[in-house]
Amino acid sequence: MDFKNIFSSINDMGIVNIFFKIVISFFAIFYYFYALVIAKQVKTMDKALQDKYNWLILFVSSFQVTVSLILLILLVIAVFLV
Amino acid sequence: MENNNKKSSVLRSYCLNPDINFETHEEGEKVFLLLRSHPFTQIGWIFSSILIFILLFVLNIFIKDILSSGQIFIINIFFVVFILSYILFNILNWYFNVGIVTSKRVIDIDFYAVLYKEITVAQLGKIEDITVKSGGYFESLFDYGSIEIQTAGTTEYVEFNDVPYPTDAVQLINKLLSKKHGL
Repeated sequence: MDFKNIFSSINDMGIVNIFFKIVISFFAIFYYFYALVIAKQVKTMDKALQDKYNWLILFVSSFQVTVSLILLILLVIAVFLV
Repeated sequence: MENNNKKSSVLRSYCLNPDINFETHEEGEKVFLLLRSHPFTQIGWIFSSILIFILLFVLNIFIKDILSSGQIFIINIFFVVFILSYILFNILNWYFNVGIVTSKRVIDIDFYAVLYKEITVAQLGKIEDITVKSGGYFESLFDYGSIEIQTAGTTEYVEFNDVPYPTDAVQLINKLLSKKHGL
């Protein structure tokens, strides 16, 4: 029995699916908090040094928070409701 | 202070008379120079980002038979998000780690791993010794190196790592020092 067959037999039991859901959920939650911390820290950095392109970096960090929140919501819907 | 013949260059890593403001900026204090690490020193994370992107493509070939399309889609999204976050993290590290030379002092603003802040200041009047360190193939080729500024009475020193045109920067600091001491 090769690796692919072993994997399919485990997959048939639904273990992989459950494991996948757990890992992805943790990742989404972690990423959301990470994005929040980065956005907060960028504001501190912006106070420490105001340069020409700070607006862009502030925008990107806020955008990251939005993306992480959307990902988290979509994941909750995809993993637990669908 | 237009004595330096280099204009703002190397992707804003060497800016003469920059239009910036910083936390401890005093009234009447003129900023003459803003320094960041030379963009060439950032090549490591740029290459690793490209490598992770390639790894994603390779991974897709292997997992297409063992995971469902939905799972592959989610893995891809998270992989891309991870790479973009990694790129942003490194850009932040580069952009906000600066050295500033003003009419009153030399300031080194460092953010370690984005989260830890360290600001080192050396008053122009207290500067005793300035060392330029530049050695190696790429340093010579792209003209970048490190500057160590030693102050009187303390073991603390201000250090600008891998900045472009270190000799020109030191020249500018020396001129400011001469002006300060009335030489």
